[in-house]
Amino acid sequence: MPLLEVSNLRAGYGSVPVLHGVDMSVEEGSNAVLLGLNGAGKSTTLMTLAGLLPATGGEILYRGRPLTGPPSARVRAGIVLVPEGRHVFPALTVRQNLRLGAWTVRRDARRVRQNLNDVHSIFPRLAERADQQAGTLSGGEQQMLAIGRGLMSSPRLLLIDEASLGLSPKLTEQVFAAVQLINQRGVTVLMVEQNAGVLAQADTAFVMQQGRITATGSGSRTLEDEAVRAAYFGS
Amino acid sequence: MGAFFALGLFQGAVYGLLAVGIVLVYKAKRVFNFAQGEFGGVAAFCAFGLTVALGLPYWVGVVGGLAAAVAMGLVVERVVVRPLESSSRTIMLVALVGVALFAVAVTVLAAEPVPRVMPPIVEGGTVDILGAGILPQQLILLAVLAVLAAAMAWFFKTDLGLAVLASSQDLRAAQVVGISPTAVSRLVWGLAALLGGIAGLLYAPVGIFTPGFMTFTMLVPAFAAAVLGGMTSLPGAFIGGLAIGVVQNLGIYLLGQQLAVPGAAELGVFALLMLVLLIRPQGLFGKAV
Repeated sequence: MPLLEVSNLRAGYGSVPVLHGVDMSVEEGSNAVLLGLNGAGKSTTLMTLAGLLPATGGEILYRGRPLTGPPSARVRAGIVLVPEGRHVFPALTVRQNLRLGAWTVRRDARRVRQNLNDVHSIFPRLAERADQQAGTLSGGEQQMLAIGRGLMSSPRLLLIDEASLGLSPKLTEQVFAAVQLINQRGVTVLMVEQNAGVLAQADTAFVMQQGRITATGSGSRTLEDEAVRAAYFGS
Repeated sequence: MGAFFALGLFQGAVYGLLAVGIVLVYKAKRVFNFAQGEFGGVAAFCAFGLTVALGLPYWVGVVGGLAAAVAMGLVVERVVVRPLESSSRTIMLVALVGVALFAVAVTVLAAEPVPRVMPPIVEGGTVDILGAGILPQQLILLAVLAVLAAAMAWFFKTDLGLAVLASSQDLRAAQVVGISPTAVSRLVWGLAALLGGIAGLLYAPVGIFTPGFMTFTMLVPAFAAAVLGGMTSLPGAFIGGLAIGVVQNLGIYLLGQQLAVPGAAELGVFALLMLVLLIRPQGLFGKAV
């Protein structure tokens, strides 16, 4: 049974539909990538999965059960979004940002400590900057903080929206490597990317065009060939 | 002059108490809450009705008054604040002025607009402080202000307080970590109303009170206190409140009594406010933007 099974999902902003029936299936433990051009509906898909946008049709099955409810309930169920543009809390410190990441598990002090250690082991930089205001971090550090904050609630499915946006190639590589590490530690990852470099580490790729999944690939070589062509050249 | 200083200090305590509530709402929502005074007004009238009119025990009046204030806060949150969440801050501000005037009007209709006397928590004569006669009620007021300002400063260090701050900085991000914006909004308004209610219950017995007594005489100095303290600082609200009270009364003494200047209290307050805003626009304890 897949961890996430989306069928005929429809959503949009106000009366403007963006998703016209999305079908995708993500296996537990996999590292999946959603590719596509600007405006294809990638971010809309993640926001709908996270409960920030209402679905207007279709169904999302998570662990075999229909997924509904507000964002807070979905975080508690283990679905955590790392939003596009990082969205760290700028006037709070790195430490406080991470503490709030554990909001849904805050009463379990041991788990919070354990998760904080895990985050620091993946992003040692965040330990060094613990008392710095998040708004004063560099773009790369803010991205690490956004992902780290997402890990604080012990997610089962991490949705990462455009982690490479605005980062240098070297930083992008570092962030992708960290995501791979997170995946290897057992967290299922669904990343939205425009940077096709991420395909090297993915084991499933979905190509999205105009609000639909138009191609699905698996196996790294075929994936790169087919998915990239479909996403960027439309064939 | 010492007596005026002491009078000002204790008068300033009620400004400080209102300012703590104003700062709470501003920190959490970036909204100027003009309804803060009326949470106290409603609490005082309910407590008066329960104790003096119905003859129930004092503690029933206190609990009933505070419950009425919190209920009003939650209703205001649901009926006024939440529907206007995405409108401009000016619209929100005008709506909250409307809430205050509405509450005053309801009080006038429900109870005759006559002066009333609320019995104090502790009976007894005045205590001499620097030559001024201070009521036990005023001593309690100042102590409660100190405790509540410290408690609110501590609150913003807890997980719950951080969640309130986080929601004001980035609502989307707060939702992403699983914080419910609705729950935060209810918490903030309930808490602000509770603080306002406490201010009203403690201040009503200090003199005579009439409908709108908190809004029409206390709210503007309380805003001055909050701005003086930096608008987001709880120690600032505490110090700001006391400073406004002291400056008002020193103004009465120095300008009014010695030089016979009319409106001396207001003159003192606004001179202080302008001076601080010129030298330190972020207020005494505010962070520079």
